[in-house]
Amino acid sequence: MEKKVYIRLRSRHWSALYDTLHLRDIAQVITEGIAEAEITRLPVCKLTKKDRTIRVIDAMEIVRLLQKIYCDVDVQVIGPIQTIVYIQSKRKRAHPFLFAAVWLLLFIGAGLAVMNFHEDVSMQGVHIKIHEAITGRKVERPLWLQIPYSVGLGLGMLLFFNHVFKKRINEEPSPMEVEMFNYQENMDRYISVNENEAWKNND
Amino acid sequence: MIDCLCLAIIGLAWGLAVGGGLVAFITVLGIVPRLADLTKTANRLINYEAAVITGAIAGALVSLLEPRFGLANFFVVFIGLGCGIFIGLLAAALTEVLNVFPILAKRVGLEGKTHTLLWAIVLGKVIGSLYHWIFFVRLGSL
Repeated sequence: MEKKVYIRLRSRHWSALYDTLHLRDIAQVITEGIAEAEITRLPVCKLTKKDRTIRVIDAMEIVRLLQKIYCDVDVQVIGPIQTIVYIQSKRKRAHPFLFAAVWLLLFIGAGLAVMNFHEDVSMQGVHIKIHEAITGRKVERPLWLQIPYSVGLGLGMLLFFNHVFKKRINEEPSPMEVEMFNYQENMDRYISVNENEAWKNND
Repeated sequence: MIDCLCLAIIGLAWGLAVGGGLVAFITVLGIVPRLADLTKTANRLINYEAAVITGAIAGALVSLLEPRFGLANFFVVFIGLGCGIFIGLLAAALTEVLNVFPILAKRVGLEGKTHTLLWAIVLGKVIGSLYHWIFFVRLGSL
C-alpha cells in the first residue's frame, strides 16, 4: 500500500528554549499506510540559543525529513506552509511599577487629548449655543449640559469597545481584540518571510 | 437678482462638499455599523442613514438660525449625554487609540492587561473633560 501523509502545520507555536519540537507539537497529521503515532512522535528540531526568540519551520523541512526516513512516502501539505515558533524565555511578567507608569501615561494623555480637542473645535462655544437654543437662557458655563456630556464620553468609548453588551447581547469580539489579532497576523507574515531559513539559504 | 443666484449656487456647492465630507468621515470611522452590530439591527441601516442626515440638517439649522425652544433644564442633560456618547464613540473609533494597544501590550509585556489600560484611557477622557469644563474654562476667562 502506498504511504501517504497529510500534514497541516499550525501557524504559531509557543515553546521554551532548548525544547525539542516533535511533529505533533506543530502540526496535525493524517496518515495512510504508516502508523500515525510513529509520525507524530518524530522530532523536528531542537531550539537553540542561536534561534533567539523566533524559529520558523518551513513545510519543506518537514517534507525533507519525512522523505529521508520513509523514502517512498507521499507528503501532502495542507494549509499554512510554515509554523512560527515563539521561544519564550523565563522572563517574568511586567513589573507592577511599569504597569502603573503606563496606566498613568495613558490616563494623563487621554485627559490632555480631550482638552485639546475641546479647545480645537471651540466646544465651549458650541455648548453655550446648544444650551441657549434649548432653554432659551444664555449662561457662561452650561454645566447641566457639560457634566452629562463628560459621562457620555466615557460611555461611548465603552460602548465602542463592546464592554457594555459583552456576553449579554452578543459574543462578537471587541475592535481592540480584532486589532490585536491583525497586529499579530501582520507580525507573523513579516516573520514568515524574513526569518525563514529555507528562503535565506536560497538567496 | 443675479448675485443672489450666484450666492445660492455657491451655498449649494459648499453644502454638498461639507455634507459629503461629513458622511465620508462618519463612514470611515465605522460608528454606524458598529452600533448596528452591537444592537443586532443591521437590517435597519437605512433608517440610521436617515437619522444621520436629518441630524446633520437639524444641527445646521440650529447653528445658523439660532432658534430658542425654551425647554426645561431636564432636556439639556439628555442632549449632553447624547453628545458625549457620540464623541466617545468617535474618540474610540480613531484608529490611533486602537493601534496603541497591541504595541504597548507586546513591547511592555502587558498582554492580558489591556482591559485595565482601556479603563485608563476612558477615565482619563472623562476626568479630563470634567476638569476642562469645571476648572479650566474659568482659568481662561480670568
